[in-house]
Amino acid sequence: MKRFSVVGLVISVVTLSVIALFLYDPYLLYARFYEYTGMPGYQAAPPAQAKTDIGKVTICDEQYPEWRKAYTVGGIKIQASDACNPDNPYEVAAFVRGTNNVIMPVLMRTQLSDDAVIKTNDRDGDGDPDDIVIRVEVAELNGRSPDGLEFIPGFEIAPGIRPGAWVFAPKSRGMSTVNRQDLNANRLLRLPSAPIRVEAGDNVTLILENTHYFPHTIHLHGVDHSYSETDGVPQTSEKMTMPGEQHVYKIKPRHAGTMFYHCHVQVQVHMMMGLQGLFIVEENKPNNWVQTFNVGAGKVRYPSVGVKKEYAQEYDLHYQAIDTSLNNLIQTSNDPRQLAKKMNRLYDITDGTDDYFMLNGRSFPYTLRESLITVEPNQHTKMRVLNGTPEVIALHTHGHKATITAYDGVDVNPAAKITRDVYSVSPAQRIDLDLYTKDDGLHSYGDGVWLMHDHAERAITTDGIAPGGNVSQIVYRKYLNKNAMATLQGEDVSPYFSPEYYKGNLPSWSAADAFGFFDDVGGRSIETYKDVLLVIVLGMLIGVLFLLLNVLYSFLHETSVKLKKRGS
Amino acid sequence: MKVGLMLLITFGLYSSASYSEMNHAGMRMGEWGMVMHENISQLPQSCAKIEGVQDVTIKAGREYAKKYPGTIFGYDTHEFSFPKCTRINFTFINEDNIRHQFMIHGLPTYLHPQGMFHMELYREGEVKGSFITPNSEQTYLAHCDVAQHMEKGMKAQVKVGGGSGNLPSIPGISGQLNQDNYGFDFGAINIALTIVLLLVGFVFCMFFFVWRNK
Repeated sequence: MKRFSVVGLVISVVTLSVIALFLYDPYLLYARFYEYTGMPGYQAAPPAQAKTDIGKVTICDEQYPEWRKAYTVGGIKIQASDACNPDNPYEVAAFVRGTNNVIMPVLMRTQLSDDAVIKTNDRDGDGDPDDIVIRVEVAELNGRSPDGLEFIPGFEIAPGIRPGAWVFAPKSRGMSTVNRQDLNANRLLRLPSAPIRVEAGDNVTLILENTHYFPHTIHLHGVDHSYSETDGVPQTSEKMTMPGEQHVYKIKPRHAGTMFYHCHVQVQVHMMMGLQGLFIVEENKPNNWVQTFNVGAGKVRYPSVGVKKEYAQEYDLHYQAIDTSLNNLIQTSNDPRQLAKKMNRLYDITDGTDDYFMLNGRSFPYTLRESLITVEPNQHTKMRVLNGTPEVIALHTHGHKATITAYDGVDVNPAAKITRDVYSVSPAQRIDLDLYTKDDGLHSYGDGVWLMHDHAERAITTDGIAPGGNVSQIVYRKYLNKNAMATLQGEDVSPYFSPEYYKGNLPSWSAADAFGFFDDVGGRSIETYKDVLLVIVLGMLIGVLFLLLNVLYSFLHETSVKLKKRGS
Repeated sequence: MKVGLMLLITFGLYSSASYSEMNHAGMRMGEWGMVMHENISQLPQSCAKIEGVQDVTIKAGREYAKKYPGTIFGYDTHEFSFPKCTRINFTFINEDNIRHQFMIHGLPTYLHPQGMFHMELYREGEVKGSFITPNSEQTYLAHCDVAQHMEKGMKAQVKVGGGSGNLPSIPGISGQLNQDNYGFDFGAINIALTIVLLLVGFVFCMFFFVWRNK
C-alpha cells in the first residue's frame, strides 16, 4: 500500500513537472515543437516599470550670483567669473592683499581667520610684499558623528555622493558647518586642497596647523626647499606634526612653475584621502600681488603679472580619484585607534580600485557648476593641470589641440613644444597648457560647447555610471545662459542632477526616450489561461512534494520506533 | 561692570599687533581669535535681576583627551552647572598650538544672534567672555566646531537651573547614539570571566529543569 503510494506520488511529480514545463515553454522540451503545433500565439512582452520620479532638480544651485561680476575690492581688480558658484571676491581680495592688509568689513565677508595670510615687507622694493606667512589647517569632510548617521561636515562631490576626505584648507574661523542645522561644510572646507600661490624669491613661511586627529606633514613636491625640517618626510627630514601641533616650513623658492604639495605621512592613504594640492610659484615681477589661495581651484580670479602678460585667463585643474573602500573607512568608526588600524594596516591599496573621479573636487554634473572653462575666440587660456590620481590620466579636449608649455614646472623648449589633443599626465605630474581658441582647424575647430575629460574611460563614470567622473566642458561664452550653464543642443542634463541617477535607478536615456524604448522592463504577470494553469499545476506540484515529505517522515518515524523496540 | 572684559592676552608671532583688536557687529576679533555674541549686562526675560556672578575657567587641548580613550581633543571640564539669571565670566584657555573654540548653542536668540555665544582662540592663549544664564532649566550644548573636534572629544554640556537631562556623547558623562563597535577582548581574565558566567547560566538552566521534572 505504502510502496504503491510512493510510486504514485513520484509519477505525479514527474507528470506535473512535464505539464508545468510544457505550459511555461514547450520549446524547452523540444526545440522544433512548432512543427507539430504550429507557431505559438503572440504574447506581448511585459510593459515598462513605472518611472522613478526624480522630482524637481536644481541645475545651478546659485547662492551668490552677484559674485560673478568683476569686482574691485581694496584696490584689487578681480576678474569676472562665469561659474554658477563663483569664488567669493572678498576672499580673493583677502588672499591677494593678505588678511592683515584688508579692512574688517572685507574680512567679515569671508570666514578666514585674521592670521590666515600675512603679507608684509617689500624687501626688493618692487611694489609687492616679500614676507608671506601662510597658515593651513587640516579638515575632515564627510566624517562620522557619534550623535547620528549624517556625515559631518558634509560635502557632496556629485548628487547624493559623500565620500570621506581630508583636505588642507586656509586657516578659518567660526563653525566648520554652515550652521547648527545645516551640517554641510562651510565654503572654505572643500575638495580639493586649495591651490597655493607664491612669488619666486618670496620669504614664505608655510605653517601647518594640525587641527586633524591624525599626524600629518607637508611635502613641497617640486618647490625649491631645503632638506632639514622642510621636506615633509617623516623618515628623513622631520618629525610628524601631531594633532594640536604646528610645523613651520620656511622656503624661498628660486624657480617658478606649477608644483605640488601633499602630506607625506602614510602617503598611500593620506594623499588619496585628499591631502594634496597645487603649489604654484609665480615669476618674480614688479607689483606682483599673487592670489595666495584659490579655494576650490578652477578659475584664478586674480592671475599673476607674469600670467596676465601672456594669457587672458588662468584655470587650476586638479584631477583626483577616490577609492571608497579607503575613503569611507572614516565613516565606520569614531575611534581614531580603530581608524588608524583600518587605514594603515587593513586597507591594501594594491587591491584598490578607484570609484569616483573628480575635477576640482567634484564629479559631473557638479563640474558644470564650478569647473566650466569659459572662453572667447582668439584667446589664450592658461590651464595648470595636476594629476592627483594613482593612475595616468589621458586628458582630452574636444575641438581643441592645446600646447604643453611646461612639465613639472619647467618650461618646454619653445622649439620642442607639443600641440596635441590627449595630454598624458603621470601621477603627481603637472603640465601647463596653452589653450588657444583660434579657429584654424588645429588649435580650435570653432566655437561651441566642447567636452573635456580624462579619456581613460573609467574616469568618465561615477562608480561605473556615465556620464559622471571628471567630465567638464570648454564653453564659448556666447553659449552661456543666464543660469551660468551652457545652452546645449543635446539631451536634457537634468536627470544627472538627481541622486537616483547615480544609484542606478534611472534608465540612462530616459530624458531622450519619449517612446520608452529603453525603459526598465516590468516582470511577467498572470494574463493568459496558460499562466493560470501553470500556477495551478505548480501548486499541485508543491502539494505532491509535501505528501512525499510526509511519507518520508513517517518512514523515518516508524524506523526509529522499530529500532527502539528492538533495543528494549 | 567691565572688569575683565577688555583684558586680552595674546601669544605668538604677532603679539605686537600690527592692527589692534576690532569691534564689529557685536564681536571682538583680532589676531588672537574672537569672541562673538557675548552678553555682559542685558537681562534675560523673566529675570528680575542678575542674581550673582561666577568666574569659570575652561582649558582646551589634547592634554585633556588622555582620560577618555578614543578621543584626541578635550576640555578640562565636560559639564558645567550654573544657577539661573547669573552672569558667568569665562576664562577660556587654549593649550594647543592650533585653533580651538568654546561655543554654547541654543541660548535665547534675543540675547545671542543664532542662539550662540562663541569664544575662539587661534593658537595657545587665553580670552575672557561672559554670558548671563536664562531663567529656565535647560541643558545647552558647548563644543569646539573645528571640523571633527566635537566628535573627537571637545564636547561639553552647560546645565542651567539643574538642566534638562544629558546630551549624547559627552566624554565621561553620556554614551554615543551612533555607537562604535569593538571586538571581544581575548585577554585571560576576560575569557575566564566569560567562561564562569556562561557556566553560571548553564548550571542555572539545568537546575531549573531538574527541579521541574521532580
